[in-house]
Order: sequence, then C-alpha cells, then structure tokens
Amino acid sequence: MTRRWIALFAMCSAASCRRPPQPGDPLPGLSAVERAQFDSGRAIFDSTFTPPVGLGPLFNASGCGECHEDPVKGAGGDEVEHHAAVFHPERAGAMCDELADKGGPVFQDSVTPALHAALGIDREPRPPVATVVAERSTPDIFGFGLLDAVPDSVILSYADPNDTNHDGISGRPNRFFDGRLGRFGRKALVPTLREFNDGAFQAEIGITNPSVPVDGTVGGDSLPAGTDPAPDPEIGTRALVLTDAFVRLLAPPAPLKQSGEARHGRDVFSRVGCTGCHIPTLTTGNNPIPALRHKEVAAYTDLLLHDMGPELGAGDICFGLATPGEFRTEPLMGLRLVTHFMHNGRATTPEQAIEMHAGEGARARDLFASLPPADRAALVAFLKTL
Amino acid sequence: MHRVTLLSLASLVVPVVLAAQQPTASHDSVRGAIRAVDTRARTLEVTTGVGLALRVVRLQVPAAVPITDQKGAQSAPINLAALKPGDVIRVSFGSRPTGFVAYAIERVGRMEAGVP
Repeated sequence: MTRRWIALFAMCSAASCRRPPQPGDPLPGLSAVERAQFDSGRAIFDSTFTPPVGLGPLFNASGCGECHEDPVKGAGGDEVEHHAAVFHPERAGAMCDELADKGGPVFQDSVTPALHAALGIDREPRPPVATVVAERSTPDIFGFGLLDAVPDSVILSYADPNDTNHDGISGRPNRFFDGRLGRFGRKALVPTLREFNDGAFQAEIGITNPSVPVDGTVGGDSLPAGTDPAPDPEIGTRALVLTDAFVRLLAPPAPLKQSGEARHGRDVFSRVGCTGCHIPTLTTGNNPIPALRHKEVAAYTDLLLHDMGPELGAGDICFGLATPGEFRTEPLMGLRLVTHFMHNGRATTPEQAIEMHAGEGARARDLFASLPPADRAALVAFLKTL
Repeated sequence: MHRVTLLSLASLVVPVVLAAQQPTASHDSVRGAIRAVDTRARTLEVTTGVGLALRVVRLQVPAAVPITDQKGAQSAPINLAALKPGDVIRVSFGSRPTGFVAYAIERVGRMEAGVP
C-alpha cells in the first residue's frame, strides 16, 4: 500500500499530476528567477499610485489592478474608458486622426486634486472635432505573453484582405505608425506587449517612465505648473521590466473539462463559421523564455481586423488603418470569467455578444440564430469552458 | 552548490532577456507616420508613440535638409512636396529655441495593410 502511494507521489512529482493553470497563475515551466519576477511584477501591477509618486494629473485608474481585477489580478473588470478620433474616409492611407496632438486617443476620465484646482475640470476635455467618442471595456490579459510570441508570419498567413477564398471573411492586419504589424488593443494597433504595457502606465495612470518620459497634455495644452510634482520619469526601468514580466508570464486559464454538450458545442462553433476569425490555436515561435517558446495557444483569435458592420462601427473610432467598423478578433482565453462582452462591454451574455456580430460575422451569427435550441445551448456551454 | 550557481546565472540572464524586449526610445530620431505636410511653411507633423501613449512631433524642414525615398536597397532624393500623409518616415532631428528641426528625412514605406 505504502509503495503504491510512493509510486503515485513520484508520478505526480514528474508533473503528470501538475495542476493546470488557474486564473492568475503564471505559465507552467518558469525558472525560479522568472517566477520571482512574475511575483514582483504582480506586486507592482497591484500597487496603488498617488499624486506624490506620480499619479496623473490625468488618469483612468490609480493602478493596473484597479481595473484588471475580477476575479483575480490580470482579469477583466467593469470599468469603461473613452477613446476619441476623427475619421476622414476620403484620405487613403491617412484616414484616421487619433487626436494625438489634442491629448488622444485616450481621454482620461479622472484628474488629480491639483489639476482640478488649476483648471476646474473633472476629466480631460474631449475635442469638439472628434467625430466619435468610443467606450472601451477592460479586457482580461491572460495569455498575452503567448500572443506576443506568435510570429508575424503566422498572423499574416490568416489575412485575406480581398476575400479571395470567397468565405465572406477578409481579415486584414493593422499597423503601427512606424509600419510594424499591430496585434494588441481592440483595434490591433500596438505591435508588442511591452509597448502596450509601457504606454498604459502613462495613458492610463499618468505615470511617466523611461519609454514614455513625458506626461501627456490636457487636450493638447501643457500641464499647468505645479500640477505634477513628482520628477520624471516617475518609475524606472526595473518597474517596467517587472510589470511586463507579470503580464507576459500570466498563463491563460486552462479550459474546463468539457461535458458531452460542450464537446458538441465546440463542433457547432466550428460548423457555423466562428472559427473563420476565432482561430482555435496559434503557435508561438522561438522565444528567449522557454515557457513561451514553440507553444500551441488556444487563443481563438487571428489577431486581425474584421469588419463588424455599420451598427458597431457607428459608435466607434478609427485607429491606424482600422476603420470605425473594424475590430480585432477578440481572444477567447478565459472567456468563462468574462461578465461584460464586446469592446464596449455592452453585452452581458455570450448570446448577446454573438447577436451583436455583423459584417463579416453576420453569416455565423445568422447560422447560430437558426440553430435548434439544443445546438445553441451547446455552443454557449462550450464557450463557458474556455 | 551547483543549483546556487545555476540560479545565480539565471538571475543575470533573465533580466537581460526581458530587458532586451524593451522598445528603444530616442530623443533625436523618430520613425512614424506623416500626419500633415505644409510645403509653404516647410513643416511636417509625425504621429508616433509607445502603445496607446501617442504623440505628434512637429518639425521644421529647412530647404537644405536631405529627403530620400528608400525602396529596397535603393535610395533616391525627393522633395518635401513628394511626402504625403500616411507615409512612414524616419527623421533625425534636433531641438532649437523655435522647436524641432529636421536634419534628414527618409521615406521608408506607407501606412497600408499589405506592406511588410
């Protein structure tokens, strides 16, 4: 009997019984140093900034963990922020003005007491020239290090901008302003996770750092003197590196064990065409971090832009090459933890989110709507295992 | 002892690996997309940034500034009027009391979904 327990223990020690990653866990297979960086980064991610240490003077949150918090740090949240832009459809190659000279595209919804005292404002003013002010919900960031590790060539292999295969789906890449392929953000503008994180310190919390060493403006005007007393940069490279390590090494939650209904739903998900954009798996390339190297990721995204129809487009911004109606296919890792769906959080159930799909998603949406109730329930049961 | 040595080695290597993924920032050169060109005033506006923290760099372009168009390995001189909004350029520049002044401009591509 004792031998049997010893043998079982040995098998478990050999990782055959390793607990699959839970929400908020690091990727499996990290070295001790990587794990220590993950833990230190989580502490920074979860810290609260105040004006004396650099918060603001314009900000959306006082720390990363204020929004990415439910049910664990790194998950989504119910906060909504605002982005604005001007869309010039007639200007090919330069159709979008992200209002970067007027404080955009992120228009912060909070100000420090010092800025309020100086200007009498409670949020950054949105420029009258903006053609739209869009809402952005807080996504979870599970598995984003794996998404970052997917080679550009893999993403571009799914692009079909002219719909040459006539399947009604024509994903196309977005590009950052220097021409690099974008993949992060609801419009796939930002090329790398590190840049997204470094930029978010400034754009979301008002924390200057070695990558973004100066504060933003207030609607294009310089900050009034004395409203940001902390010396720039307000955090150093070490804080950026550690925060990035936490985000980069955050594992996608392991999918739940699938019931027979959910397994059927996975087939339905494919049959109605959801997998045309929500590509089930992507494979990472070579990477200096072994836990990110040559891994299959159940990402359910192609990281490309797709036209989602005029209704969603009417309330949204352009961004880089993305038109107002184009959105990046949302990854579905950790979907079972999500309570607010779509880019603006307006859908509260997966069914509502599916109903909001139009444009390139219209065919799959209509096929879903025409399914027998048992098949629709199975598809939703599958989504709730992710 | 062996484990301690490995951990010590890893503590040196991993920060270097993570730090190597940092975006580089420079105060005297920028690569971004042209937002506006004013040939009469000889000014350029370039959109750039880090993540969603975007900024517009305004540049004066003196007549003597070399402007080139890079296509593959070839580089051909062009004039300011040939630059259009949406062109991706690399600019080296310096700061003057009147603002930023371009030293050299190189057009390297265009903001199009299909370009590499």
